[in-house]
Amino acid sequence: MARLVVDPITRIEGHLRIEAVVENGVIKDAYSSGTMVRGFELILKGRDPRDAWAFTERACGVCTTVHALASVRTVEDALNIKVPKNAELIRNLMFCTQLVQDHVVHFYHLHALDWVDVVSALKANPNDTSRIAKSISNWPKSSPKYFRDVQNRLKAFVESGQLGIFANGYWGHPAYQLPPEVNLLAVTHYLEMLEWQKELVKIHAIFGGKNPHPNYLVGGVPLSINLNEVNALNSERLNFVKKLIDDAIQIVEQVYIPDLIAVAGFYKDWAKWGGGLRNYLSYGDLPTRGYSQVDSFKFPRGVVLDRNLNEVHEVNVRDAEEIKEYISHSWYSYSGGDDVGLHPWEGETEFNFTGPKPPFKQLNVDGKYSWLKTPRWKGKAMEVGPLSRMLVAYASGNKEVQEVVNDTLKQLDVPVGVLFSTLGRTAARGLETKLVVHWMKGFYNDLIANIKNGDTKTFNDEKWDPDTWPKEAQGVGMTEAPRGALAHWIRIKDKKIENYQLVVPSTWNASPRDANNQRSAYEAALIGTPVANVDQPVEILRTIHSFDPCIACAVHLYDPQGKYVRRVQVL
Amino acid sequence: MNEKKISEILILGIGNVLMGDEGVGAFVAQLLSDETFPENVRCLDGGTAGFILLGEFQSADTVIMIDATVDGQTPGTWKRIEPRYSSDYPQTLTAHDIGLKDLLDAAQILGKMPKVILYAISIAPLGKVEWGLSPQIEAVVPEICEQIKKEVQRNIENVSVIKTDN
Repeated sequence: MARLVVDPITRIEGHLRIEAVVENGVIKDAYSSGTMVRGFELILKGRDPRDAWAFTERACGVCTTVHALASVRTVEDALNIKVPKNAELIRNLMFCTQLVQDHVVHFYHLHALDWVDVVSALKANPNDTSRIAKSISNWPKSSPKYFRDVQNRLKAFVESGQLGIFANGYWGHPAYQLPPEVNLLAVTHYLEMLEWQKELVKIHAIFGGKNPHPNYLVGGVPLSINLNEVNALNSERLNFVKKLIDDAIQIVEQVYIPDLIAVAGFYKDWAKWGGGLRNYLSYGDLPTRGYSQVDSFKFPRGVVLDRNLNEVHEVNVRDAEEIKEYISHSWYSYSGGDDVGLHPWEGETEFNFTGPKPPFKQLNVDGKYSWLKTPRWKGKAMEVGPLSRMLVAYASGNKEVQEVVNDTLKQLDVPVGVLFSTLGRTAARGLETKLVVHWMKGFYNDLIANIKNGDTKTFNDEKWDPDTWPKEAQGVGMTEAPRGALAHWIRIKDKKIENYQLVVPSTWNASPRDANNQRSAYEAALIGTPVANVDQPVEILRTIHSFDPCIACAVHLYDPQGKYVRRVQVL
Repeated sequence: MNEKKISEILILGIGNVLMGDEGVGAFVAQLLSDETFPENVRCLDGGTAGFILLGEFQSADTVIMIDATVDGQTPGTWKRIEPRYSSDYPQTLTAHDIGLKDLLDAAQILGKMPKVILYAISIAPLGKVEWGLSPQIEAVVPEICEQIKKEVQRNIENVSVIKTDN
């Protein structure tokens, strides 16, 4: 029996350690540990609630805007502020921009290298790659010359010895099953998408003033609309946004989705592994008639239990009995004892590190072994993320979602059950991206129509002045980060933040066991996964990366070695 | 009269302002944002972002980057280096280097890598969640800002011809 340690496991952002017990080539048990301390909540105490978004936006280098969105919604909830229609639409457009950028970058730049062998692409015949590309898509960049040029560029790069971005792959591993020609196609699009995402994120700068930390505002959005004013949101800028959205639709439909389906076709085995938990949670998002109208959300809110797609359970994040965070296996202590669960409004952030001093071989998994707390919904472990969003929408009877999911299953000739897997998770991310780019166009059109009707209001200032606030208030702000359900809880007293708690998606997915020894999503998903070569556990990476881990916000930040090389240890 | 494109300079502060001294690069960028620079000089607090900065990064000809490093030197000492590849960067550019290295490697493989001048400021190894800099690091900030301003000036002068009559 081998104990496999992969640390760190992410290609970008954050610090996550996985310890997996491998017996006869199959994972029997797994432990997920956030190895960096957290506690941004402490910085927020005593501050002006209207400034909280600017601090929480710094919690993560990737998900900046979603933390800001959750934060302004939290304060708006506490103070009962309704944002104007234009603000809702602009926030939705920023949400969609982040989701699309994040998913495309995840697929091509973080996850693809688990499936695509970059070195094998050097052996491809560019004529055949061109033929394959033309057979699956109308995307114009598909000539033999185009692929040959990319291949030559790649060769020069590999020969320079500076493999850089491709330095950490297990190239040549037998688990890579794509023919060289498909590998070349994917690597080519890797480069194209890297260029394209630079354009897409300009939407954040247009609506939020700047990147990577766009401006938000409690009560609306911090920009004025005037079609003819140089410094306002004007016709020129709106036309540019339209162009970026149209490009996004084309890219997602002609590059991302065809590639996803082509690659998935070679890895149908991965529909058998990586399912893990049977419960799925989505807070929902993209309101169309105000955030209080949950039935107007494009992404519905709810819980699917035991993979039963015939029923959706209601979620109430205010209910102290529904959402609780446990610390039985986390390096914290609660004033009321470490085996109780606390609702985030009552949440405490008191560090209690009892782990080994690095470098160490193995965590003491019987005791505390992670900096992540363990959230539960009605005592149950939940998966969050694109798969949860798609399943909750599917089970809610959302026609758009059902159609896109059923069409794809038909195209791949697989039953609905394959969704509960590593492959299903990766596919769900692509499918929701396809829906979101079209929703984006809808939000854009609504925004233009609203402005043309003479409504240029972007900010509700009724409760801006703290003298209008009650002495005490509490609120919760939810959103769906690209990687899953995100919520902030606030308590305001005497115009200041008294308590602030974040429960981030990677806390749901990557947390350690709870007091009842129930596993969270990562740990559960790894069980049963085969590992062909314990020195190169690409299979572990496939499943963990399928969740799009971003531990930076969950835990942060400092690594004594500061090194980004995946250390694989076999004990 | 011929006009030559003026070299674009980006001052890029990197770091997490929620992590005390780790955020020194971002703080310096925020301070320098209030200065008046020529039109071809931009100043950006990049936080701990990675790929999302790629557009800004590649649109510059020269990037003057400011970042914290945990390299065992006395906190507050700093050095100026001109790294070419991501592997030339100090290994202990604190934890956010994960995103940063991807950014550098991405620029490399896309074939457009600006000239990078890195000001690496040594900080103490114990990263802690807090807002603001320690007195030791705070003390060196004015000097770093002065150095960056001189660096900008040198780089502007180095652009041989801005406008020529012929």
